[in-house]
Amino acid sequence: MPKKKSKLSIVMFSGTADKFLPLGILSQAAAAMGFEVNIFVTGWALLGFTKNAKEPPFPNEFKDMAPALMNGLKKMNAKPWQEMLREAKEMGAKVYVCSTMAGVMNIKREDLNELVDDIVGAATFLEMAEGGETFFI
Amino acid sequence: MANIVVDARGSSCPGPIVELSKAYRNAKVGDIIEVWATDPGIKADAKAWAEKTKNQIIEIKEEDGVIKVSIKIVSR
Repeated sequence: MPKKKSKLSIVMFSGTADKFLPLGILSQAAAAMGFEVNIFVTGWALLGFTKNAKEPPFPNEFKDMAPALMNGLKKMNAKPWQEMLREAKEMGAKVYVCSTMAGVMNIKREDLNELVDDIVGAATFLEMAEGGETFFI
Repeated sequence: MANIVVDARGSSCPGPIVELSKAYRNAKVGDIIEVWATDPGIKADAKAWAEKTKNQIIEIKEEDGVIKVSIKIVSR
């Protein structure tokens, strides 16, 4: 019997730049490995998925280190998180926005950018995630 | 049976694996994919990828700072 497909589910909650980076890297790597990838965007992370979203800020405690980090990323030719996520999506990853958080922030479907596949509830995401690995970022 | 070179030099993790997986999409059983990378993560990552996709690592070598991994496509 064929093995069940591996699955990575990510709850993307944080809204800071240092957390969007692992979102891009892990979703892209998992998709390249043939995992089913489902991302549930909630909390402050939602602000990174609106149309005309600003670059997410660095958290205050690491602000001093941000320029060095950005420099290092550039030197390593690391792609911006949006581009990594786009590539992950080309390989099948899906991005879902939490319906409650969208309501709380008064963000409608038409306010969300092209990275978002749909607005769903927590139960839908939990059902998708069942039986796989789940990360909370 | 083709020999496909994936030049991912200068690309950081997970770039080389992403490029490998793109090449794999169009590859056929019997093809050899050779990944060129400078990111040291490729050595372990290519093994993990081959294990996961049930393909075979033939050789991993290093030439002038470039890691070259040859993978035989045996599974689609």
